[in-house]
This record gives sequence, C-alpha cells and structure tokens, in this order.
Amino acid sequence: MTVEATGIHRAFGGVQALRDASFAARPGEIHALAGENGAGKSTLIKVLCGVLRADAGSVAVRGRVATAFQELSLLPDLTVAENLLLAAPPRGRLGLVRRGHLTAEASRVLALYGVSEIDPRSPARDLSVSQRQVVELVRVLATEPDVVFLDEPTAALAEREVDWLAGHMRRLRDAGACVVFTSHRWREIERLADRVTVFRNGTHVATRERLTEDEAVTLMTGRTLDATYPDVSGIEAGEKALTVTGLTSGHLRDVSFDLRRGEILGVGGLAGQGQRDLFLTLFGARRPVAGRLLVGQAERSFRRPADAVRAGIAYVPEDRKAEGLLLPLSIRDNIALTTLARRSRAGFIRRRAEKAEISGVAAKLAIGAGRATSQAAGTLSGGNQQKTVMARWLLADADVYLLYDVTRGVDAATKHDIYHLIAGLARSGKAVLFHSSETEEIAHLCHRVLVLREGRIAAELAGPVGDAEQIVAASIRESADA
Amino acid sequence: MNRRALYAAAVAAAVLVVGAVLTPGLASWPGLRAVLVVASFTGFVAAGQMLVVLVGGIDLSIPWVLNAAAIVLTTTSLGASGRLPLALALAIGAGLAAGLVNGLGIAWLGVPAVVMTLGMNGVLQGLTLGLSQGLTCDDCGHYAPSPLRDLFAGTVPAALLVWLGVALLVTVLLRLTVFGRRVYATGVNPRAAFLSGVGVKGVTVALYTLSGGFAALAGIMLVGYGGQASLGLGDPYLFESIAAVVVGGVSILGGRGDYVGVVAGSLTLVAVTTVLRAQQVPEHGRLMIYGLVILAILFAYGRERAHD
Repeated sequence: MTVEATGIHRAFGGVQALRDASFAARPGEIHALAGENGAGKSTLIKVLCGVLRADAGSVAVRGRVATAFQELSLLPDLTVAENLLLAAPPRGRLGLVRRGHLTAEASRVLALYGVSEIDPRSPARDLSVSQRQVVELVRVLATEPDVVFLDEPTAALAEREVDWLAGHMRRLRDAGACVVFTSHRWREIERLADRVTVFRNGTHVATRERLTEDEAVTLMTGRTLDATYPDVSGIEAGEKALTVTGLTSGHLRDVSFDLRRGEILGVGGLAGQGQRDLFLTLFGARRPVAGRLLVGQAERSFRRPADAVRAGIAYVPEDRKAEGLLLPLSIRDNIALTTLARRSRAGFIRRRAEKAEISGVAAKLAIGAGRATSQAAGTLSGGNQQKTVMARWLLADADVYLLYDVTRGVDAATKHDIYHLIAGLARSGKAVLFHSSETEEIAHLCHRVLVLREGRIAAELAGPVGDAEQIVAASIRESADA
Repeated sequence: MNRRALYAAAVAAAVLVVGAVLTPGLASWPGLRAVLVVASFTGFVAAGQMLVVLVGGIDLSIPWVLNAAAIVLTTTSLGASGRLPLALALAIGAGLAAGLVNGLGIAWLGVPAVVMTLGMNGVLQGLTLGLSQGLTCDDCGHYAPSPLRDLFAGTVPAALLVWLGVALLVTVLLRLTVFGRRVYATGVNPRAAFLSGVGVKGVTVALYTLSGGFAALAGIMLVGYGGQASLGLGDPYLFESIAAVVVGGVSILGGRGDYVGVVAGSLTLVAVTTVLRAQQVPEHGRLMIYGLVILAILFAYGRERAHD
C-alpha cells in the first residue's frame, strides 16, 4: 500500500468531520473517493497529505506527494508563470530568480502538458475559473508525484478539459503512481476509477471495484433516490418575462433571445464562451456595451444588482463562498439579506417576523437538517450552503431566476433537491435561465437550450434534449469543421 | 454580543481595579468620573473609526476633521451662547461634509481609503491653518460658549450622557436596523453583498460621512472641556481611535465588532494612561507601557483565533 490510514478521528470545534475513518490505496491505481458534501472527503485528503493533523489514528504515505485542493490556491496577482514555478523558479548564479526565463520555462511546462490556450504572462486573476483549475492541475502534475490527491479536480472544468485531465491521470497511473480523486459526477468516477471508496458521515462505508450509480447513491446517502431528473415537459410557457435584443457585453456578441414564464431556458456551450457575462449583465453586475432588455413589457437598464432585484430578477452565483454567502454570519442573516426592507418598519427590522419567515423557508428546504438558523453559514456543508443561497432568492419571490452553475460541487442528494426546486419554480410561473458546467443537467432539465460559442448563440435546441452529446456537438461543431 | 467585547470590558475593569489599589483617589467617583470624561473623547472618534473599519476601511482624517470642527465652532460662536446653535450646526456640518467627500472618493472614484482620508487630513490641516491664521488674532475670542462648558460640570456631567446617547445610537443602528445588517454584510464580503442587492457604495459613503460627524462631535466636546480650541487638538486621536477599535475587539478586516467593545477599549486606554500618570511614571516609560499593553491584548486575541 502506498497510502494507508486507519482509525482517523478529526473534529472542527464541535463538528466531528472524521470518525474512525480508514482508507487505503495502491500504487498503479486510480482511486475515487465518493460521498456527499460533509462526508469528510476533503478533510481526509488534507489529513492524508499532511495539511491537517488527525486527532487520533495513523497515516502512512510513501513517496513524493502532490495535492490539488478544492479551494484554488493560485495567487491572483502573480502571473500564470510565477504561479506555476512558485516552488522552484529558475535561478541564476546568486540564487536570484531569473525573471527572463520564467515565461519561457512556464510555456515549456504548459506545452508539455498539452495546454496551449493559457498565456503564461497573464495574471491569475484574469483567468476563468476553469483556466485557473487547469493551471493548478499542471502545477501538481509537473512535480511528477508518486502519490497525487485531487480534490474535486473537475468541478470547474468543461468536458474537453476533463478529457485532458483523464489522460494525464491514466498516464500517471500507468507509470506506477497512486492517483486519488474526488468527484460528484458519477460518470467520471465510472470512467476513470479502478476502485471506489465511499464515505458517509465521516467514515468509510465501502471500497469496491465495481459499483453502479444507484448502489453508490444508496451507499452515500443511506437511502434510495427516485428518478434523478424531474419531468418538466408538462409545464406551460406563459407570457414573455425577459426579452433580450442585441446584447453585447464582455465576451458576449449581439445575443438576442426571449424567456417566458414557466420556462427553463438552458445556456450551454464550452466553458468561457460568454455565459458568465450574460448572467452578470442581465443582473446588472456588468454594464452592457450595447443591447436592449425588456423585463415583462418594460425596458430596463440596470446600473447595479439592486436595480435588477427591484425589477424582479434573482441571481444565484456559481461560487457560493466568494459571491453568495457571508460565511461568518448566521444562516438567518444570509437568507434575510436581500429581503430585509420587506420585513422592516421605519428602517428597523421586525425581528419576530424575520425569525418566523426565515425558519419557515429553512425548514422547507431542510437546510442543515434542523440546525438552528442562528448558526454561522460557514459551518454548513457545501450542499446546505447552496440551499441557503437558494432560500435567500426564494424569499425574494422574483419573476426571473438566473441560476449559474448552482449544482457545482454539490452532493447527489442536494442536487436532486435543487432539480426539483427548479422545476417547482417553473411550475409556479417563474422564468428560469439555467447554466451548468454539467451539460447532462442542461439536457434533462431545460425546455430549450441556447448554445453559446465565442459569445454568440451558435445553436438553439428544442428540449428536453435528453442527450448531452447533442449540446456538446453544437458547442464544438464549427471548430470541428474548420 | 461577541466574546472580544467582554474581554475588553474585563481588561478595562482589571486596569481600573489595579489603579484603585495603587492610587486610592481613583476609587472615588470624582476619580472615576475624570477617567470616564477623558475616555468619552476617544469614544466619540472611535465610534466613527469603528463604523468605517467594519467595512474594511479606515479614516485617517480624524485629527484635522476634529480640529477644523473645533475651530469652526469657536470662530463662529465667538464665545457667545446665542450663537451656539448655529456654531454647532456649522461644526457638525463641516465634519459630515468632510466625511461625505471621503466616502464619495473611496466608493465612487475607487481611491484607496488610506490615501483618500490621509489626503483629506492634509487638506483640512492646510485650510484650518490658513483660514485661522494660526490663531494669532488676539481679540477673536476663541472661547467656548458657556453652555458647552457646563456639559462638564456637576456630579454626573452631561457629557457622559452624550456619550451614552452615542453608544445607544450606534448600537441600535448596527444591531436593529436594515442599514446595520447591510453594514456587516458589506464588511464580511462586499462582492457577495453587492450581488445580493446591497447598495455597497451607498453604505460606504454613509459610514464615512458618519465618521466625519463623530470626529466633529469630539472636537466640539473637547472645546467645551478645555474652554478653547487650539491647533493640534486632534493629533492624539488618530492613534487613540484605531487602538480603541482594535482593543475593543473589532476585526480590522471588517465585518465583526460592536460599539460596546469599543467603549471598553476606550476605557482601557484611558485607564492605563491615568494609572501610569498617577504612579508618576515618566513620559517615555508611559508610552512604552501603553504600547506594550495594547500589544499584549492584541496578542491574546490572536491566540484566541488560533484556538477556534
């Protein structure tokens, strides 16, 4: 065994993240670590690679170790090259960094790992989330480790980049390395893993060579889920909620479409084709260069998100920690934030009304399994954090919901809840614009799909598409022809 | 209430008890009253400083906003009680205006808070020195009108009630109002607050404006206490305001802290100085011990986080 851990306990404050957990992985295998949010996967990886110390138990890891953590660790103000070569930059005679060699060396490393579209001179903060993840992975791979831990390496990646990563994971395995990764996407686990270990509630449940998705979900959740995607085909589309004409903003070029009440409109395409700019512009967080926007019948121009909120638009961002939640504040404060004015008199918060209303919605969404809403949002698991952000916008009772990759890094059970929540929104006459980095979700959950390519609408598919391949094909067709 | 506010209150109490043992006079009401009155000036400036620190900002213009307001007050009232209301309005107005300009520069023009408020401090210093001509005019009568001086008379000086009022106002504003929630949200994560529909820029401008107002209030109260305005009146209060805020348990990164803690912080600072002075520790020794006490408290806070 290259990696062996037995009887691991680890607590954070009063929360037991790992209890009597064990894990073992061999050289020359790709080993998937599966489990819901809060099952202890990330904690286990941090204990295995030595970032966290276990309260009890023993850990043995043999060989050179490299780890890609779930929270991206690039320094935003340094360039890609500086980030890549941070640990071992090219040095001159006095031990000083040879800056002139940095870019060339970084280009060489990137090319070696088949990455061509990232400029080593650009600052990390200018990269998209997926590009940052790629740089992070190259940094880990380039150390040619014997043991590599990848925590949610594909959460931010698009299909094509997942293939790229899969290739490198297999190459490392074939060279005799031990590759351990976590993922919430079952297809990837099925495709890549030689063995799967399932964690639940901080402890080891099973390690298998073969496992179907249904079995895995049962092991992870301790219960069985009904058909994964809700049926959205019966929902009647109503009047137009949003009419977009000639919108140009950031990467977006001359985009026109409309969105009706009761409709779930998917926005697909490869990563970084202007999806994010579309959502941020519609929400007033980015000023458009050109274009018109009608909300209902009224023409609108938003100067800030507060204007969009007033016009009945809600936006759930992809990065709940950076853009959604106020982690040290209570669950209640987080949910209440957007609708504070509604429960106030002369600027004073009506606390009793607030408590009642927030507890109601928190209970409806089963946030934190009955935990008090006075607890800090940061103590919740990823799935519950996402539900907290959703709850905030459910209370706002908007007409249009802009949902941007809301299931990213969320466990299977919560995903399932969120799908039903989205279908419920449409059923109650809300208009939903839905983007996901998992094309599968767009294919199953949307009435119609817009495929963006280089900032333009490259295709419009009538849905439910059902087959993700169709969307992927439309995303890359032109580049394949060229 | 947060735990650090309790720590700060405990330290203030401990210092006062030690002081009372060493210097019997301190245990009397007049002794304690003197400490409270001096602490109130720090409390006023620290109220404004805390508000901007809560959103991760800082106000370095406090010394000369305070000083300018003090001089506006004396030069417009000329010591006459009848002119006091107008003079008060002008002095507070000047402070709010300076704070408003700070806020607009920081929120809308994107000038870093340190640069903006330091610049404002310089501008006001120049303006004050220029317009007052260094307070050299003999017959201007730069004196405080008597109602202002009366605030410091009596067994329970009215100045302390003003401080109590400020404490209630700030606490209610932060803890019970929509505005207060938006302040903490902005301080914890401005991007998330912005994307939740909070008018982050408006909140920022309002807080810097209030900070200017509180600095002016401190200037007015100092004029009443000392009987007249002088140049350099506000100089000690930049350090005092920041020290009271951090000793009071407010996170310098924003998003965390209460005015109750800041009150305790102000008392701690003044109690330390008073005790050292009563022990006739020479000036250089006082400064060193004062600095060390602050560092020790902050060190304890640092340890506390490591245990979380």
